[in-house]
Amino acid sequence: MTEETRDVVCDAGPIIHLDELGCLDLLADFREILLSPSVVEEIKKHRPVALTVKLPFSVLRTHNRTDEPLPTTCRIFALDRGETESLLIMESHPDAIFLTDDASARMVAERMGFRVHGTIGVIIRTIRRGRKSPEEVLSIIGSIPSRSTLFIKSTLLKEIALKIKKEFNPDPPLTPCSN
Amino acid sequence: MKTVQTEVPEALYNKAVSLVNEGWFLDEKDVFSEAIRRFLETHQSELMQKYIRDDIEWGLHGND
Repeated sequence: MTEETRDVVCDAGPIIHLDELGCLDLLADFREILLSPSVVEEIKKHRPVALTVKLPFSVLRTHNRTDEPLPTTCRIFALDRGETESLLIMESHPDAIFLTDDASARMVAERMGFRVHGTIGVIIRTIRRGRKSPEEVLSIIGSIPSRSTLFIKSTLLKEIALKIKKEFNPDPPLTPCSN
Repeated sequence: MKTVQTEVPEALYNKAVSLVNEGWFLDEKDVFSEAIRRFLETHQSELMQKYIRDDIEWGLHGND
């Protein structure tokens, strides 16, 4: 099966989290990484080094049309400026994937019918894309609590690891006990 | 009701005060309660777990 690559519109979270985990280069697998000016400012504030990584970044300006449905929805859900601008970019690039780790932004994006994923999806995707081995990805996932500000509860991290192991290195089937 | 003592950026507090002064809310406590209620509505544990599971599925079996 031929897999296509798409543009991504990126919120600050995934860029910051991937850089904290030392794997921001995983975004190089997308065609173009579209950022809004406010997202760039947020990254400059919290993780300026991330913007020095050589990646196909493009900064797109948006017009904040406050009376239109999308900005209104963003205000109702209390999305910040970066998230709102990112969704405005998605409106003009509907084939792109929106990357965010913010639950509210993700909810609005899904309601708008956009494709949306987060840092975890980008990391796991690299196995499918042949850029990392399952073992490497398991190591990155395991380092999330100690190396990154991305908060995922420990039971869910274990579930992620288990699914990767089952997919790529299934344990031997359990044999029924004979009494 | 629980009483919570916390610090918020001054600009955020001033915006809350403005909303009260304009008559949209009874007082600052009302503003912060409403803000927290809305945040919690979109950050339900089940919803965040669903997003992670969607990401696992896309990561393992997506086509882009």
